[in-house]
Amino acid sequence: MSALGELGSLRGKKPVGQKKDNLAGYLFLAPWLLGLFLITIGPMVASLYLSFTDYNLIQAPKWIGLENFSRMLSDERLHNSLRVTFTYVFVSVPLQLTIALLLAVVLDRGVRGMAFYRSVFYLPSLLGSSVAIAILWRQVFGTTGLLNQVLDVIGIHGKGWISDPSTALGTLVVLNVWTFGSPMVIFLAGLRQIPTMYYEAASVDGAGVLRRFVSITLPLLTPIIFFNLVLQIIHAFQSFTQAFVVSGGSGGPSDSTMFFTLYLYDRGFGNFDMGYASAMAWFLLVIIGVFTAANFFASKYWVFYDD
Amino acid sequence: MTTETLRTTVTAGRTGVITWARIRPLVIHVLLAGSALVMLYPVIWMVVSSLRPGNEIFRDPGILVKDLRIENYRVGWHALTEPFTRYLLNSAVVVLGSIIGNLVSCSMAAYAFARLEFRGKKFWFAIMLLSIMLPIHVVIVPQYILFSNLGWINTVLPLIVPKLLATDAFFVFLMVQFIRGIPRELDEAARIDGCGKASIFLRIILPLMVPALATTTIFTFIWTWNDFFSQLIYLTDPHMYTVPVALRSFVDATSESSWGSMFAMSVVSLVPVFLAFLVGQRFLIKGIATTGIK
Amino acid sequence: MRPHIRRTAGRRLRALAAMAVATTLLAASACGGDSGGGGSSAGGGGDVTLRFTWWGGDTRTKLTQQAIDAFQKDHPNIKIKGEFGEWSGYWDKLATKVAANDAPDIIQMDEKYLREYADRGALQDLKKSEGLDTGKFEDDTLKAGEFDGGLYGLNAGINSFAIVANPALFKAAGVAMPDDTTWTWDDYTRIAAELTTKLNGKAFGTGAPGTNEAALNLWARQHGESLWTQDGKVGVSPEQVTAFYQQVLKMRDAKAIPSAEAISQDMNAALDQSAMATGKLAMNWMWSNQLNAMSKAAGTELKLLRVPSVEGKASANGSYYKGSMFWSISSRSKHQKEAVEFVNFLANNTAAGNILLAERGVPPNTEIRSAVTPKLQPADAASAKFIQDIGKELGDPSPAPPVGGGQVEKIIQRYTTEVLFGRQTPDAAAKAFLDEVNGELK
Repeated sequence: MSALGELGSLRGKKPVGQKKDNLAGYLFLAPWLLGLFLITIGPMVASLYLSFTDYNLIQAPKWIGLENFSRMLSDERLHNSLRVTFTYVFVSVPLQLTIALLLAVVLDRGVRGMAFYRSVFYLPSLLGSSVAIAILWRQVFGTTGLLNQVLDVIGIHGKGWISDPSTALGTLVVLNVWTFGSPMVIFLAGLRQIPTMYYEAASVDGAGVLRRFVSITLPLLTPIIFFNLVLQIIHAFQSFTQAFVVSGGSGGPSDSTMFFTLYLYDRGFGNFDMGYASAMAWFLLVIIGVFTAANFFASKYWVFYDD
Repeated sequence: MTTETLRTTVTAGRTGVITWARIRPLVIHVLLAGSALVMLYPVIWMVVSSLRPGNEIFRDPGILVKDLRIENYRVGWHALTEPFTRYLLNSAVVVLGSIIGNLVSCSMAAYAFARLEFRGKKFWFAIMLLSIMLPIHVVIVPQYILFSNLGWINTVLPLIVPKLLATDAFFVFLMVQFIRGIPRELDEAARIDGCGKASIFLRIILPLMVPALATTTIFTFIWTWNDFFSQLIYLTDPHMYTVPVALRSFVDATSESSWGSMFAMSVVSLVPVFLAFLVGQRFLIKGIATTGIK
Repeated sequence: MRPHIRRTAGRRLRALAAMAVATTLLAASACGGDSGGGGSSAGGGGDVTLRFTWWGGDTRTKLTQQAIDAFQKDHPNIKIKGEFGEWSGYWDKLATKVAANDAPDIIQMDEKYLREYADRGALQDLKKSEGLDTGKFEDDTLKAGEFDGGLYGLNAGINSFAIVANPALFKAAGVAMPDDTTWTWDDYTRIAAELTTKLNGKAFGTGAPGTNEAALNLWARQHGESLWTQDGKVGVSPEQVTAFYQQVLKMRDAKAIPSAEAISQDMNAALDQSAMATGKLAMNWMWSNQLNAMSKAAGTELKLLRVPSVEGKASANGSYYKGSMFWSISSRSKHQKEAVEFVNFLANNTAAGNILLAERGVPPNTEIRSAVTPKLQPADAASAKFIQDIGKELGDPSPAPPVGGGQVEKIIQRYTTEVLFGRQTPDAAAKAFLDEVNGELK
């Protein structure tokens, strides 16, 4: 409360008397609108249409109404993939964002060598989806991998983390957290936008590090935190490449890393059932849409804009 | 882990002779260096692997090399039908086009969403977010058909034109959030000085959102440089192959693979992105805090 | 005023969307013959450009490009554009292109997807293609690409499922190489268990059968069944799948195979990172044409053994010639004649044979095979000899998997994992496995 009050006094008042600027608005939006109608909408609507058909990619699609959707109700592998995906989203997103934020705050200081650390911490994210990652991950988490070698030294007998169905998903969470570079950079950019005069004012008031973080950094960073949260949730729901690369496209062992999108891909391109895959995609869109809408709704209560 | 250690060090610092304030930078450095090593291990492993004969890579999991061999680099560079330079150039073209496209079109759309009041704004914004919620695998076939009808297969157009038309909603949303963090008083002041919407955008907003633009540039660079799927689908002529497509041609699950070459060329392809990040991050720092405005 | 604007805007939006959908979907369902082959469209005398696509590593890419160059020298009016890439991306790309009516003219095909494309009319029946010479092909090798009375893929390399053994580890353990013409499953298990004990943790006796469907198919064939039937159905009974999994468990209990984790990890490992290549296994199940790559990766000379049988007779071990891959021609190619000419060159020309050697598997053309064998690297020569040797013992050809059957490898891997981890009993896994495979078939 007091933090908000403090900020309120620091910030100006809302401008009054907004005029509509339809023409300017649509002019600035023109490239995007053009892209929407020329490139985005067609394939989107086509996939919506395909979700009501039996389409094997080679022959023309056949209209089958809601059959794909009713099939989803009894598809147990799909239900499993939903469980896997939800677990992944709810574990890895908060973990990754917290670490990214903490490191961004630490690395934001003017301490010597920070540029170096920033780059080093970002490096894993550069590797992202390359084939090398799959090899690396087995080299680290395999039965004779690095992790087990380290554990052996301290007398713990490790296991095949990647190949045990109970821990395989965990290694993917670690992989995702390990590539926290993107949200970290966005946080860094956000931190850079906070005017130093706020901190100066707070210092004059005798506020400590923690106090300044809670009362200035956090509130002013909320639009960026919000952005990262929304996008990382969308991103995590669509997570594909890492699981695909690490499991060799199988979602294994025993479907334990079978993400929803991996299963979708498996149906569409592996089983030539693009109609069903499209139905799955639109189902996922609804799920992500609900989460995003909820996020936007909740944002009214905690995200703090300067306009 | 990190915070716990920090906290115990804090209490230790209070009771001990040495004050916390004095050892704090040291502690931070030690912690950072430690975690940096963990972060880096796999990358180091990759570089080391690139210096080993291909068939030794998996038999010896350590990171110590007896003799450094640059053989893999020499062989890998010419292992495919074109020298690797070709793939680097192709990737550079795609990356450059994508960056320009994203910077121009996304910032325009973002300005409209963040600052202008027009009819249907909320609707379009929702559509924009929706457009990134659909997994690529179900739109790729219709999209391919679209571009193939336009005769754009085996050109860079399917990879660049969408960026010119701001289809990367991620960046639009990112910039919207940043613009909303810029105080509106600045717009107001400029308007009173007689600036129109366009010049507010060019003279006030753009300079103030340099961190966001830098972020966009860095991400576009890295993501496009690493993007495999769409480049695989749209560029089928080996002359047009880009780095990620070429890299995957070294290894095949069902036959003989050249892991040495793959790791060597992976390291090569890492250099431009890493440099891009090093350069780009300097602009991250030149935010509103240091530009002296206000 | 406002509602009016909104209505027109809405209508315009709908019209635009409809147009977009129409353009994308019309092309998808078009049946016309447009292979987009580039080059001039007129057949006959003019120059023709063919698109030829294959998967594989850079060794294959190099050899194939050399073969293309040789062909172009002989046929100045035909230009071949090669498109290459690795396995998993290859199939996404091919599916997308076929869907968009933009399929390459000549396609390197795998047994897994052969019927998937052929049954839907995407591939040309090569029996109807004029001028394709299959005279030097053994019947067994041709059969691999044949079904419903048509030939949809020409065998490009012969393969057989086999046991690969690491003689160095046998020696280190002091265990004699088995006589693979008479060994039974019990011998196999016993020898593997002995290896495990004597190697004392350094390596295990053998990898598990059931990390792909081929071992199950052999098991079924040894028991008078077969994984697939000629008319495209599942041909293996729940009893035999159960028995197969009981055999796997017997091997686990005898410590003939490594831990469940290690086996599951090996299922999707790259060849070079696999347990066999890193010297952690004395034996494993493998396709014969991988001998060269595996030997190189392992850094030691490996040896191929016949698979064990129930009766202890090599002629009853169910082995068959599999096409390691096939040459197929797109049914929509506008240049059928030239495409056939090129496939002819790849399959029957000695010059091509001398370039390609056995990189795609042992050449099925018997004349090329004998011409090429002396030029092969030791490991490739060994696998060629192995193929030659088992030729007299083969059973009936194994039918290609039906539409939807390409998924069986992933499915069996999953149930083998379940069984090995003790999460499902053999008979529950067998039933679930068959249910799921049946569900995939269309």
